Formats: sequence, C-alpha cells, structure tokens
Amino acid sequence: MPAISEPEPSGRTPSGTPSPGSPASGHATAPAAARAERLTKAYGAGDTRVVALDTVDVEIGRGRFTAIMGPSGSGKSTLMHCLAGLDTVTSGRIWIGDTEITALGERQLTRLRRDSVGFVFQAFNLLPTLSAEENITLPADIAGRRTDPDWLKRVIETLGIGDRLRHRPSELSGGQQQRVAVARALASRPEIIFADEPTGNLDSRSGAEVLGFLRGSVDELAQTVVMVTHDPVAASYADIVLFLADGRIVEQLTAPTADAVLERMGRLDGQSVDGPSIDGRSSGNR
Amino acid sequence: MLKATLRGFLAHKGRLLLSLLAVLLSVAFVAGTLMFTDTISGTFDRLFRNTAPDVSVTPHTELATGRQDLSGSVATLSDALVARVAAVPGVAAARPGVGVSGIVLVDAADHNIGSIGGAPTIGVNWVPTSRSVVDLTSGSAPAGDGQAVIDADTARKHHLTLGEQLRVIAGPGSFPIRVTGIATFNTTNPGATLVFLDTATAQKRLLGRAGLLTSVDVTAAPGVSDDVLKQRVEPVVGSGYDVKTAAQTAKDSSQQLGTFLSVIKDALLGFAGIAVLVGISLILNTFSMLVAQRTRELGLMRALGASRRQVNRSVMVEAVLLGVVGSTLGLLVGVGLAQLLIKLIGGVGMELKGSEIAFRWPTPVAAYAVGVIVTAVSAYLPARRAASVSPMAALREADTPGRGAPLRRRAVLGGTVVLLGAAALVAAGTLHAAGTAAGLLGIGVLLSLIGLIMTGPLLARPVIRVLGGWFPRVFGSIGALSQRNALRNPRRTSATASALMIGLALVAALSVVGSSMGASFDSQVDKTIGADFIVQNGQGQPFPAEVAQAVQGVPGVGLLVRTQAVPVTEIAPDGSRTKVNMLGSTSGLDRVVHLSLRSGTVAAATAPGAVMIASTYADDHHLALGSRLTVLFPNGTQVPLTVGAVNNVDNNSLTGIGKSPVAGTATVQQYAPGVQDDGVFVDVAAGADKAQVKAAITTAIAKDPQVQVRDQSDYKKLIRQQIDVLLNLVYGLLALAIIIAVLGVVNTLALSVVERTREIGLLRAIGLSRRQLRRMVRLESVVIALFGAVLGLGLGLLWGLAAQHLLSLKGMQSLSIPWTTVIAVVLGAALVGLLAALGPALRASRLNVLDAIAHE
Repeated sequence: MPAISEPEPSGRTPSGTPSPGSPASGHATAPAAARAERLTKAYGAGDTRVVALDTVDVEIGRGRFTAIMGPSGSGKSTLMHCLAGLDTVTSGRIWIGDTEITALGERQLTRLRRDSVGFVFQAFNLLPTLSAEENITLPADIAGRRTDPDWLKRVIETLGIGDRLRHRPSELSGGQQQRVAVARALASRPEIIFADEPTGNLDSRSGAEVLGFLRGSVDELAQTVVMVTHDPVAASYADIVLFLADGRIVEQLTAPTADAVLERMGRLDGQSVDGPSIDGRSSGNR
Repeated sequence: MLKATLRGFLAHKGRLLLSLLAVLLSVAFVAGTLMFTDTISGTFDRLFRNTAPDVSVTPHTELATGRQDLSGSVATLSDALVARVAAVPGVAAARPGVGVSGIVLVDAADHNIGSIGGAPTIGVNWVPTSRSVVDLTSGSAPAGDGQAVIDADTARKHHLTLGEQLRVIAGPGSFPIRVTGIATFNTTNPGATLVFLDTATAQKRLLGRAGLLTSVDVTAAPGVSDDVLKQRVEPVVGSGYDVKTAAQTAKDSSQQLGTFLSVIKDALLGFAGIAVLVGISLILNTFSMLVAQRTRELGLMRALGASRRQVNRSVMVEAVLLGVVGSTLGLLVGVGLAQLLIKLIGGVGMELKGSEIAFRWPTPVAAYAVGVIVTAVSAYLPARRAASVSPMAALREADTPGRGAPLRRRAVLGGTVVLLGAAALVAAGTLHAAGTAAGLLGIGVLLSLIGLIMTGPLLARPVIRVLGGWFPRVFGSIGALSQRNALRNPRRTSATASALMIGLALVAALSVVGSSMGASFDSQVDKTIGADFIVQNGQGQPFPAEVAQAVQGVPGVGLLVRTQAVPVTEIAPDGSRTKVNMLGSTSGLDRVVHLSLRSGTVAAATAPGAVMIASTYADDHHLALGSRLTVLFPNGTQVPLTVGAVNNVDNNSLTGIGKSPVAGTATVQQYAPGVQDDGVFVDVAAGADKAQVKAAITTAIAKDPQVQVRDQSDYKKLIRQQIDVLLNLVYGLLALAIIIAVLGVVNTLALSVVERTREIGLLRAIGLSRRQLRRMVRLESVVIALFGAVLGLGLGLLWGLAAQHLLSLKGMQSLSIPWTTVIAVVLGAALVGLLAALGPALRASRLNVLDAIAHE
C-alpha cells in the first residue's frame, strides 16, 4: 500500500502557520478514516467501456484534511462518491473506519451515510422547507437521535451562524448556506466528511470563509475532511493533496501551497489548468 | 415555434399521462352516455315504428303521455267496434286487441317468473300478423282457456318447456295456464315478459268480461294512407276513442320512453359534468407545474426572441393537443362503456345487441368539445403565467420562485363568494316558498363551492397545520417534512384537494338528505300509520282483490282497510285543474292511519258521492265542508263530489295520504273500472298474537309473490332500503369524479417528486432510508387527501343541512347526520391518500442518489 497517508507533522493553514489543534505525529498508528483497495470503477462494456477509476489504492488519514484534485474526467468526483458509499464500485474494496462498505447492502449503506458520513455539496445542500437549525439536525432527526447540544453549540459557534438558525435557506446568502451545510455535516460527529466542490458556487471571500471553517473543523474539532476541488487555492487549505489523472492517483503533495498545486496541475494537464478565477464550473466527470 | 411545442409535448408526455387519463375518462363518460341513450332510443323507435298498426283505435284517456297510472284499471272498448271498423272502406283488416300490463306470472312453486325491476309482464291476445314482435318457434298457438304461449327469453331464463303449468295473476283474479308454445322476439326484447292467450281467453281472464277489448288494430288496404284511413275511421267510432296512425302511435311511445331516457341521460351527463370539473383542476395543476418547472426554458425562448404571444400559444397548443388526443381515446373507450351499459341493462332483461351501438354526429362533437374545452380552460391561466416569464428567468437559478399574486385579493373575493353562498343557503333553508328556495339552494351550492375553491389556498395552512399537527410527534422529522411539503405550494395543494372535495361534498350532502329522509319517514310512519300490518307490493304496483280476500280469511285479522290510487284531475269551482292521485279507501281509514281532520268525518268522506280534501287545497280554492268539486277520471268522466272532510296535511305529507283527495273505494271503482288495491292495512283482532297473525298472513298470500306483509318496522326498513339503493347508485356515479380526483392526487405527487428530485437526492445522501422517503411521500398524500375530505365534508354537511331545511316544507322534518358515512369518508380519504402515494413514493425511493443530486 502506498504511503500516501503518512502522518504529517503539522496541520497547515494556507498561510503556513501551524494550527494549535493539529494532530500530533502519534496519529501515525491510528487506523485510516477511509481506505480503498484496488478500487476500479468502469462504465459501459466492450468498446464503449470507460474506466473512471483504475485499481486505485488510497488511504484517508484520520483527523486530516485531504484534497482530491485532477483535470476534468480524471475520476476525482467518482473517487469521492465511491468512498462515500454514494456510488457502487466495479471491483475493489472500501472501508470507512472498520466497516467495509463495499460489502454493505443498500439499507446499511443508508445508515452508514446517516451515522458516519457528512456531506457538503457544491450547491443545493439544504432543504428549502426547513430552517437552518432543522437542516443541521436533520440527519440526527432522521435517525431518531438527539444531537449532543454541547457539540451542536460548539459547531454553531465555530461556524458563526448562531443568529441565522431560524432562517430558511432562501433567506441566507450562498456562503451562509454552505456554512450551514458544513454545520450539518459536523453535527453528527461523523467518521468522515466529504465535500464536493464546496466553494464552487461562492465568491472568493465566502469561499475562503467556508474553507477556513473546514480547516477549523479538522484543527479544532478533530474531524476528517475529504474535499474534491479543481481550485488550487482551495486545495492549499488541505494537509495533503492527491492528484488524479486517468483514474489513477499519480501524485501527492503534503503541506501544499497554491503555487505548488498549480504547478503540479499544469504538469498533469499538459496544457491548461482550471484556474480558480477562470470559471466556476465543476470539473467532476459525473 | 410549433415544432418546439410539439417536441415539448412529446418530451413531457409522461407528465401529461394522468391529465390525458382525466380527459379520457370524462370524454368516455359523456360519449358513452350519449351512445347508450341513442342506442336505446334508436332501437325502440325502430321497434315502435315497425310494430304499430297502421291505424289503432283505443279508448280515450285523459292521462297525458308519460303520466304513470298505477291504478290497475284497464280502459276498454266494446268488441262490436271491430266489425264497424272493418266495414270502413280502405280497411284491409281490423283485429281485436287485448293487451294488459301489470300482470304477474308465477310458476308451480309460486315464484314470480315475470319481469322484475321496471319492465312489465304483459298479457296479450294471440293475433299473429306481419308486424308481430314475436314468431312462434315451438309448440302451437294458444287455443282455449288454460293455454298460453310464453316468450322465449322468459322460457330460457326459467327453464320453461312446453307443457309447463304456470299461473297468471291478473286484475280479475288468477288463473292457471299450460305452456303450449314458445314465441321468440324477432326484434329487440325490451325486457318485457309476454304471455299470449287466445282472444276469448284474454278477454275473460285479463279484462274480466267477454265482449271487451283494449284496442282495435287496423291494417290499411294497399294504396290507402294511414292519415286518410284515420280520417275515415274517426267518424265511424265517434267520440270517446283515440284514433291514431302508426306514426302517431310510434311517436307517443317514443315520447314516453324519451322522457324516461332523458332523465337518465341528464343524470349521467350531470355526473360527467362533475367529473369534468374535477378533471379541470387536475389539468390546471399539471400545466401550472409544467410551466413552473420550465421557467428557465421559457425564459430562454423569450431571450432568444420569442414573443409573449408565441410562448402563450405554445402552452395552449400543447393543451389543445392533449385535448384532441384525450378526446379521441375517450371516444373509443366510450364505445366500450356504452357496450358495458348495454350489457348491464341486459341483466335487467333488455336484450340490446352491442353491435347495434348508435353513433350519431352529436357524440363526437360533444366528445371533442368536452376534451378540448376542458384542456383549453385548464391551461388558460398557466399559459398566461408562462407568457409573463421574463427573459431574465433564463439566467436565474432555477430555484422555485415565490410565484403568484399575493393571496389577499383572492381572500377578499373568495370570502365574499363564500359568504354570498352561505347567505343563499341560509335563505334557502328558511324561506317558505319552495319554488324560489330550490333556486336559492342551487345558487348557494354553486357559490359556496366556487368560493371554497378560491379560498382553498388560504385554508390550506391552518387546516393542514391541524390535520398534520400530530405528524412531527408521531413520525418525527419525516412527519414535519411531509407536512411542510404539503404546505409548500398552497395553491397546488388546495387545487388537488378541492378536486376531491367536490365529490366528497356531494357524497356528504346526499348522505345527509338520504339519512334525514329515512329518519323523517320513520317518524312519520310512527305518527301516521296506526295499522299493525301493511300488505303491499314493494314497487307500489297494484294487486288484485283476491289478496285482500286471502288476508281477510286469516284468523286473528281484525279491521282490514283496502286502498286504491287513481290518477285524476281535480277541477275546483274556480276552474283550476290539479293533477293528483286520488286515494280510494274502504271504511275505517281513520283507524289504520292517523289523520288530523279539520272538519267532517272520514266515514262521511268515503260515502258515495263524497270526498276528503287536503286543507291546503281547500284554502287555495276556498272550499269547505259541503263544497262541491269535480273530479276528472282517466276515462274522461267528470264526477261532481261533495267535500265530506278536510284533512290537515302538515303532519303526514311524506306518506302521501294527507295530500291526496280520498274517496270511498266504491266511488273509485265506479269511475275507474277494474281499479286494483295498492295497499291493505290490517289491524290484529283483540287478543290475537301479532307474530302468529303475521305468519298466517304470510302463508295466506304466498301464492301472490308480488306482495308482502310488513309490520311498521318492516315498512321502515323497506323505505330505508329504497333510499339506500338510490344513494348507492348516486355514490357509484360520483365514483367517476372521485377516481379522477384521486388521479389528481397521484398527479400532484408525481410531479412534485420530479420537481424535488435534487432534494430527494440530498435527503438520501445524508441518510434518509428508502422506507422513510416513501413514508414522507405517503404522509404528504394523506394530508392532502384529508384536507380535501375535511373541506368536502364541511361543505357537504352544510349543503345537506340547507337541503333538509328546504325539504322540511315537503315533510322531511327530521335531520339526521349519518356519522358512519362521515367517518367512512374520512378513513376512505386517508386510504385514498395512501393508495395515491404508492406510485410516486416508489418512484421517489428508486431515484439514483447521484443522478438526483445532479438533477437540474
């Protein structure tokens, strides 16, 4: 297994300043938050067969902020969807914590998503009929559980949405909506949070805020975050960046800076890189 | 633009499926009704035309065509007329005719084997001609007393063979017959049972006397027209006879059937109209949702230069296409429906052939008019809304815009209409002029319905808050989500619910009226009927005197009172004419029926030459005890009668006894010869055991299966049953509207699921199980259905209340609210909600999570 999740001595903020709550090197022996073994995902058959993921081995470190990057069609979204149990795999095995999710049925997968996984999507994260607070506690409500009030308070404080709890999503700005989405993902203290282009629809200031909160949830709340992005600046918030091309992990970068990421992407892509300010569309292949 | 519209139509055909079904059902019902009634009237017109004699001579009757005569009296003429008519130049043949309907045919075990359920059993003299409706297919013609030919359909139904011993119960009494032949209809069998006797036997047994006939049937010589012949026959027979040509006879018969058919047709079309109304709300909802979902697409079209008119037209063209396709399919289904109806009435004995379905031009015209008008009307508002989409909509995020004008104007307008409707209902219930009150009731019903449909969106929030208030507690966040989803678009929810409301309101109103009618009858039976038992035919048909004689012979029978009913015209001294049924009664009527006499005595009123009249009639025409009035009997005799008693009518109007004039049986028999009994009231003799006497009477009348003995509770039960049959029939017809309303709920849910695809994907992604998702859709559906049920029941109970108040003038004084029906409607609505959600819920739960999230 490639050592792509080697523990990083210090969590990093974009500016490079070590965060106070970053995981210590002692986490090296801790089990991975998520892990995939010889993961293959192919669409179609015969001549039309398209391989989105080609025998990928990957390990997502617990308490780390991992970014997945790659050019359009590289399979980065597919990888995330598979890791999160949203998509089925063609072959290979995936674990979240100690649970092998590739062995789970639909009902157990649903429960796993509800209890152990948090999601932040690019857009349309919130149910329009529910208030911000109801959206945050929805997964727990669905499960028929109560959300730990202390934890909830902390999450809400961390994200600075205390004064927006009674509002409906339509009354919130895009950045506020994404913050509520992050709060929802954090509320159930999941094993792992998946964020799919969480800043894709935001202006750069709101985007930076949301990324800061994701970073904070790793540093201060000791959560594990996996983020798919095509934005080098967004990726620079992560502890480690995995680069995908043609369905394989081709490179990884620890303690990334935006420039370093941009440079790698440039090499991978050959010609052009999806610059953060060039367009705001998702580059996911699915 | 047209091409784009057609593409759009085809692209959305799945979403239009249920709208198509709604159009189809409404059109099929309309077309089926028209084809059905056209087929029946066509068949009978042909039958009447082909079988009517060139010229017929019948005794003159004062009865207008279509007026029902249940007296059992048969109008006759002398058979000496046959020879006189035969002598008229131009007459090829004059045949004696005897035809008596209302006889009863029983087998050896005293079972009624004649027609039941409306069609008559007819005794006819056997005179085969080229116009006979039957041909002798086996055995021989009847010759002499005790021989008869039976129609083949009756023979087949009851496995009758030649030589079978049967009995006929006719006015003069019953007599045995042996089946000597079987005759098969060469035309459509209208459902009647025919018993053919030779002429002499028919005269003696059916008319009670030799020398009498019911008609003289004339065949014209070649070259003599019917009209010419009629003119020649008329002076020969003189006055007191009706002479008719074949065309007139056929026309009169058709007219008589026509009045009956048009009642059926109007009733069926009325129910179709309700279904159409419900269909409109379904289609309106569909187009509203399609337009809302396509806001960006429409915005793009506008941005690319399409004018408002073009956008509007594109929606309207789509609607009209839907109407045309739906009408065409509905027309086809209508043919099947007409055949089904024909098969259904075949069960009652009317043997129409499905292949004879009449397809006249008004049928397709009506079908396409209904289909296209319904869709065009439904799409009008959504099309206008589509046209008002701004080009900017193409650029905006597709999130559901908070569309629609504020509801305040609607609240004011709708509220006003509701209040007007309520005022009309109150006025209808309290006003004491029945004529205007009925009109007000109609206006009130219509206004309150329209007003409630208008204010529905405003009521949705408070009502659903209450109805679904327990959802969050019981079903947690799933319950909260479904309740809020139902409230998300109050217009849509209320349009869906009001479709259900219409049908259920009618169910509720009619159930109140039916139940109140039953309760009123109960109390009036208690109040008016003093007799221990009533012997009667369940359908009100008259029966011969031998029944009363049989009952009289039963030990333990005390007082026995026979009553008869004859349709007459009262002519007051002021010259005004009133058509009523005159009641004949033997003495003692006041001891078996509680009357409240203003003046006079029943004994005096039933004496020869006297009559009892209702107090209302007396007041209207300034009559009092001793006044004289004239009564015109069906055979044309005008009889002056003296008022021997005046009866107060308020307390017993439903049973009919108080309102009708009453005369002695002897009087009635004198002027309506052959009149039969329509009721026999029996009091048990002092000291006799009621149950024993009842059993003994049952045995005594067993050979007359057309009548039954009932005590007061049996009598109430009979009336309740008759009301229930009618109610069930109406409920059955309302089922069409309710089915379309349920389709509407399915439609709304299915389109909502499509609209909320991303939301569903999100919910599934964050851990909502399929089962929970299905429950969410189901609960939303149940709450919408319950909303409709609550509105419908509220409205219906109000209507029922007003109608009962109105009808209390006509004797429906007791109000009874059928709570079991109300509860059944609520439970039924919840069940309907569950069923309606099956498909949409399954579809929602099967959505692929990733596809759903990525859905635009």
